[in-house]
Amino acid sequence: MDLGNNEMFLSNDMLHEKQGHNSLIEDNIITSINNSRRGSLVTQDSEFELDDALLTGSDLDYDYEDELDDMIVLPITNAKRKQINEGGVPNLEYECLTTKDIFNRMLERVNHLQPIFSLPLEDIIILMQHYDWNEERLLEKWTDKMDDLLTEIGLIHENGNLTVNERGVALKEDFECGICCEVKSVEVFSLECGHEYCIECYRRYIQGRLHSGNIITCMGCSVALKNEDIDEIMGYESSNKLMYSSIKSFVSKHHRNYKWCPYTDCKCIIHLDDTSSLSEYSRLHYSPFVKCNALHRFCFSCGFEIHAPADCDITNAWIKKARKESENLNWVLSNTKECPKCSVNIEKDGGCNHMVCSSCKYEFCWICEGEWAPHGKSFYQCTLYKNEDGKYNKSSSQEANKLMKKYTFYYRMFNEHEVSAKLDWKLGQTVGIKVKSLQEKIGVSWIEGQFLAESLRTLNEGRTALKWSFAVAFYSDPSHNLTKIFVDNQALLSKAVEDLSELLQIKDPELIMRRKPDFYNKAGYVQNRTNALMECGRDLLCKGICKLTD
Amino acid sequence: MSRAKRIMKELQAVKDDPEAKITLEFVIESDIHHLKGSFIGPPGTPYENGAFVVDIEVPMEYPFKPPQMKFDTKVYHPNISSVTGAICLDILKNAWSPVITLKSALISLQALLQSPEPNDPQDAEVAQHYLRDRESFNKTAALWTKLYASAAYGDKEVDEAELYGINSDVVEEFESQGFEKSKIIEVLRRLGIKSLDPNDNATINRIIEELLK
Repeated sequence: MDLGNNEMFLSNDMLHEKQGHNSLIEDNIITSINNSRRGSLVTQDSEFELDDALLTGSDLDYDYEDELDDMIVLPITNAKRKQINEGGVPNLEYECLTTKDIFNRMLERVNHLQPIFSLPLEDIIILMQHYDWNEERLLEKWTDKMDDLLTEIGLIHENGNLTVNERGVALKEDFECGICCEVKSVEVFSLECGHEYCIECYRRYIQGRLHSGNIITCMGCSVALKNEDIDEIMGYESSNKLMYSSIKSFVSKHHRNYKWCPYTDCKCIIHLDDTSSLSEYSRLHYSPFVKCNALHRFCFSCGFEIHAPADCDITNAWIKKARKESENLNWVLSNTKECPKCSVNIEKDGGCNHMVCSSCKYEFCWICEGEWAPHGKSFYQCTLYKNEDGKYNKSSSQEANKLMKKYTFYYRMFNEHEVSAKLDWKLGQTVGIKVKSLQEKIGVSWIEGQFLAESLRTLNEGRTALKWSFAVAFYSDPSHNLTKIFVDNQALLSKAVEDLSELLQIKDPELIMRRKPDFYNKAGYVQNRTNALMECGRDLLCKGICKLTD
Repeated sequence: MSRAKRIMKELQAVKDDPEAKITLEFVIESDIHHLKGSFIGPPGTPYENGAFVVDIEVPMEYPFKPPQMKFDTKVYHPNISSVTGAICLDILKNAWSPVITLKSALISLQALLQSPEPNDPQDAEVAQHYLRDRESFNKTAALWTKLYASAAYGDKEVDEAELYGINSDVVEEFESQGFEKSKIIEVLRRLGIKSLDPNDNATINRIIEELLK
């Protein structure tokens, strides 16, 4: 088998890696790859990727992370990536940032305010956060009531600027702490205002407030603790947490352009500067998939995992439905509500119906989920609640039963593939070992062994597409011919995926090498079937055969 | 255990200051998490001379988390639920600070009785009454104080219309049309109507519409 054919089935990521090691790849091969992928949903701009590869190719290294997607960790710099869809959607230009980058942007953003405020930048960040990153409102307040503002953030004391006491931690004999009421010899933290409490109480107090992202003040008055005070009291870099929560607030305030990578413990943030093309994506039922530096791929619009062939609406409806039907999540539904503004789930733990979202500070009424402000003044009646009750009883039980049956069928299929995907993930962990054993036992070069990792990636993509295709199928008109074609496509992909999965179970290194051509063929076939299914699914959506019913 | 020590000290502080007319005691001697507090209604308000009992639950994280307080005594006040006694007060929520004591929280409740915040209501019906007709509100609040926050509580017969500050003429008017009294009061409360101009046909029609539902 010649090299050209072998390379056909490598994705551009692979190409990107190979570029550094293997200069044998010629331009015509790259073009042939692009041609072979014509019609696929998302292909990356190879030219751009090439540049990228040249930039980073020299210091390739990898480690066996426990996550599938981290199988090959590339030291990618924050160079912008590009994405082209050949079906006519505009390019999506985005960059992946770290929390540090975001912090630097926050600093940049407040930098020009410094001459006006002459405060430390970190304090200005807190002020900005306090004013929801609304510069105008902050400046207005500053010009009108500078002293109020300074008192508000605790930089000057209510009763003037007291500097009688020293700020800091000191050991005191027989100190009686006003909080715990213990008398002992203990380290005490004092502030200029004269309030001093034992360090243990301060630790517990700060612990409870670190995640609020707000200024932490003296327990006795409004004098603010500085980040270095917090670090001194807590004994480690706790103020980072405070900063982290303020970074979170920045990202959520600019959620149109910034999105956290939704994968657990991934701290990458995708920044999309120009969001104008997103509407075009949704019009054509494409989804703006992005990839973070840790190679996690997700949808920029809905923040969910790659969900093609389903679009964001179908995905959203499907997830909500799955939640509603799931016994385990019943509690969430009956005891929590989504914040009407930022969709964070809120639990009501007693008290009044005046809710303040802990995430976005939106004030709303628990009963009607409307804005709180009109409740305070004109006392309109919350009637939405009753309407909703009526709505649930509307559909006759027989109808509901039939629908439930249909749903259960599709959900089982969806779930099966989700479970399989988890098993594949486990498989992924063994692939790294296999590649290593190929290297050690029969002297195959690392790069030659990468077809295994690549096959696994293809398998994973196929599996995900298959999984989501059941959401599409659920909302599609079953009598339409195109739906039938779609179902046939599902079956074909399903078969292809299982074949490839079986192949990946092989453990014997020699047998793996012998069957290498099989790997390429099967993976290539999965790739083609995946693309076909995605196209077909998009067709269903564009033609309105798959749509949400009320 | 610092929490126990602190609560004991707070109890002592209340005992040491009889002038404040505040009481604080355990419901059961062995359970330091559950207390009852009481204070006197502030003079010059409809709550004057009333004794108000507050149920206090002290969380494990006290004093780093606020105690949960609600009125045992029924109170007619915009920021206190007339049904459950739940209190809408910032210091019992996000404005809590560990330096606040149970005593100072009770004093804050006393201050809340003195100066209601009708724009951030807990009980919308009461708040509406407060904003629309202060005089009538004061009368009702004083009646509730007399009924529920005084020693002789429970002995007197009360007219339900009076209890919610509703003009008895209005109720009689609709009763004469054959509607049931409890239903009339329920509708009038829901619509927030305490008194009625006999020529205000729009409102009368609205009430009848509701009564017929």
